[in-house]
Amino acid sequence: MKKNILTFAILTGILGLFLLVPSCTQSPVSQAPNRALIVTGQNNHNWKGSTPVLKQILENSGLFSADIAQSPAAKEDMSKFKPEFSKYQLVVLDYTGDAWPEETNKAFETYVSGGGGVVVYHAADNAFADWKEYNKMIGLGGWSDRNQKDGPYIRWKNGAFIRDTTPGIAGSHGKQHAFRVTLRDTIHPITKGLPLNWLHSQDELYSQLRGPAENLTVLATAFADTAKGGTGEHEPVLMTINYGKGRIFHTTLGHAMGDSAYPAMECVGFIVTLQRGAEWAATGVVTQAVPEVFPTFNVESKWPLFRPLTLVEILSNLKNYKPGDTRYNMQDLTNYIRANYDGGAKYAEIEKLLIQFLEGTGSTDAKNYICKELSLWGTDKVLPTMKKLEKNEETAEMARYVTERITGKFTN
Amino acid sequence: MSQPKIINRRSFFGKMAGAAGAAVALPYIIPGTALGKDGATAASDRIVMGLIGSGSQGTGDMQEFLGKKEVQMVASCDVDKGHRDNAKAIMDAKYGNTDARAHADYREFLAKEKLDAIVMALPDQWHAIIAIAAANAKLDIYGEKPLARTIWEGKNIIEAVEKNKVIWQTGSWQRSEAHFHRACELVINGRIGKVKFVEVGLPDGGPTNKPHPVQPVPEGLDWDMWLGPSPKEPYRGVCHWDWRWILAYSGGQLTDWAGHHIDIAHWGLGLERTGPIEIEAKGVYPREGIFDVPVEYSIHAKYATGVEMHYANARQVPHGMGVCWYGENGSWIHVDRGERLFASDPKILDEKIGDNEIRLYKSLDHVQNHLDCIRSRKETIAPCQVAHRSISAALLGEIAMLTGRKLKWNPDTQEFLDDPIASRMLRRPFRSPWKLQGN
Repeated sequence: MKKNILTFAILTGILGLFLLVPSCTQSPVSQAPNRALIVTGQNNHNWKGSTPVLKQILENSGLFSADIAQSPAAKEDMSKFKPEFSKYQLVVLDYTGDAWPEETNKAFETYVSGGGGVVVYHAADNAFADWKEYNKMIGLGGWSDRNQKDGPYIRWKNGAFIRDTTPGIAGSHGKQHAFRVTLRDTIHPITKGLPLNWLHSQDELYSQLRGPAENLTVLATAFADTAKGGTGEHEPVLMTINYGKGRIFHTTLGHAMGDSAYPAMECVGFIVTLQRGAEWAATGVVTQAVPEVFPTFNVESKWPLFRPLTLVEILSNLKNYKPGDTRYNMQDLTNYIRANYDGGAKYAEIEKLLIQFLEGTGSTDAKNYICKELSLWGTDKVLPTMKKLEKNEETAEMARYVTERITGKFTN
Repeated sequence: MSQPKIINRRSFFGKMAGAAGAAVALPYIIPGTALGKDGATAASDRIVMGLIGSGSQGTGDMQEFLGKKEVQMVASCDVDKGHRDNAKAIMDAKYGNTDARAHADYREFLAKEKLDAIVMALPDQWHAIIAIAAANAKLDIYGEKPLARTIWEGKNIIEAVEKNKVIWQTGSWQRSEAHFHRACELVINGRIGKVKFVEVGLPDGGPTNKPHPVQPVPEGLDWDMWLGPSPKEPYRGVCHWDWRWILAYSGGQLTDWAGHHIDIAHWGLGLERTGPIEIEAKGVYPREGIFDVPVEYSIHAKYATGVEMHYANARQVPHGMGVCWYGENGSWIHVDRGERLFASDPKILDEKIGDNEIRLYKSLDHVQNHLDCIRSRKETIAPCQVAHRSISAALLGEIAMLTGRKLKWNPDTQEFLDDPIASRMLRRPFRSPWKLQGN
């Protein structure tokens, strides 16, 4: 079920993208206070998958409406690719490929140095090794024949960052795996309030990046375990760079390859840091709260639709639950009720849907789980449903518990 | 078949009491086997004990009692035949006979055995039912922590223990270790000034998730009886040991360890017979598998004295495992297992405690303390009233995690202030036919 919804989301995104005939499209008028432009069209990753996801993530924050600037394909005529950066509060780079026209480069430099916001996403830090100002904007880059001539490695040693000028390649990664991200700056608006350590879902851990690293703040690193083919170093994964008056948020996270299932982009940690980084880059402040389901030291957390699910979606995912299945859906339900419980009208709507589920054809195990929740939150309104469930041997026990806890009358 | 009558120490002393301490010889039969090998303690003076819950913890506890000459272990009880037979075999090996008995049902164990005291090491869902039945049978109890699975059950245990005037020792053995005692005496006597904040680090660890398909119940295990008052569940291979990771039976590491480090934290503050007034918590629950106890937990509790306590899995607190009291001017004392006792200034640890200062209850042998109290009828170093407050702090944290709200608690009446939702969690419904005796 979860997978179906996911595939649906990605297909919708991809179809949406293919409908874009002109090279630059604008979203319909939106209530969102900020406008973002995602630059894409060439990448050694599946940009047709990642770009619509980035758009969803930005728009799901409620802070952005996002347009897409799609470049010509590789080796095609680039001379007319001139996105109007200045119309936007934020430019998100999901691009690595052919050089842009010089005019576009200059326009981008002017946009950023004049106070524009930028998000550098994953392979965008592979792009434009020869464009000096671009490299100042990304702070650190990789591949494309970068090496010591492009700048130092930034290494975490004995509790501080140092510039390591040792000669060597720039850009590598071990095997994809889930890895732990560690905050190195806990007071920056982007990272303030996040767990000190959190488990990021399966991703490439970009390593050995080098660059000018001027006006660079590393917000978080991840340890590249040699057992996974890593460097044995704490690699910068979240950064900010100031370029002129411009603010840049650089995330190396979010690898997307293939047609579906991008665990790195589904990670709540990726989504939330991207949303917060985007807001900070565009406005200089972060107003978004950290969701309760942010991943923790050893527990991953994903949003397959790149946003929290609605109660209807959660209940639909729970429909066939059996013990041993993933607990994601149950945790989603628990978290949803807890976060939305108001003891009043909002909860009444929740309870209505729960009752509907209990009287429907969902699995008994799912019903018993919902009963556990109702034994905590339920009102008198669920009692008639409990009477019905008590007639079924498989749900009778939990239904009795709900009734006992709600009425305070215990038989045992 | 009539068993040889071993005189029960309690009834013996009970009768003696009426005789003003005179050495009145009452008729009784000492079976030869009851003399034991060394015969150092006369059988009439031995404390006759049984073990209920003879898994790894129970067997370990039993070994300590077997090491005491004044104890005669006579029977085991467990719903798993392998466990109860193993415990019986250990008793028999100790006494060089085959006299110990093994019971499957605690009701039979309590009814047929003529015991003075029991050792109880059960999964948490069973604690209250059996503790209360044993107390009503006038047995003294060495009970493993935590005291109970819910606050309501804990209150009922205390009531039964007090009503029946039985002696209770909780398995909070850290109290009988010199360095924990020392740490608490230093703190309570103000050697770091007024304590404003306490940090308690409990284990990170937790369940290793793996598939748990429904499977045949192993031979010799009465699964329905093992579940007892908990909801009926098919057997999935989660029973001994791993029950710790399922909320129906336990609250995980938090409730397992409350009886150790939260207990010590309270002791050093003189808060061992009260509770917090405000609790706020955040838990992280597993997202895969059937285990459902929190894998990360962080609880902030405020007490009426103004002191604030933070108890959490160890990697969320700076000093890691153990208890760290923070006093004035940056001073602190940190204590943990393995004789670990540290202070911000090591000189604090050399401080003498004067005779006119607060001297805490001293025991250097937890099991011996219990046996001594069985004889003296005095309170043990870890009575159930104290154990109740240690586990209550954890259980309130559990409720705060589940409700996701700041809770206000009255530690005197043991009720939440105006919070019917949280109040529901103070008690869990029992599966039929199980109930607490007297309820």
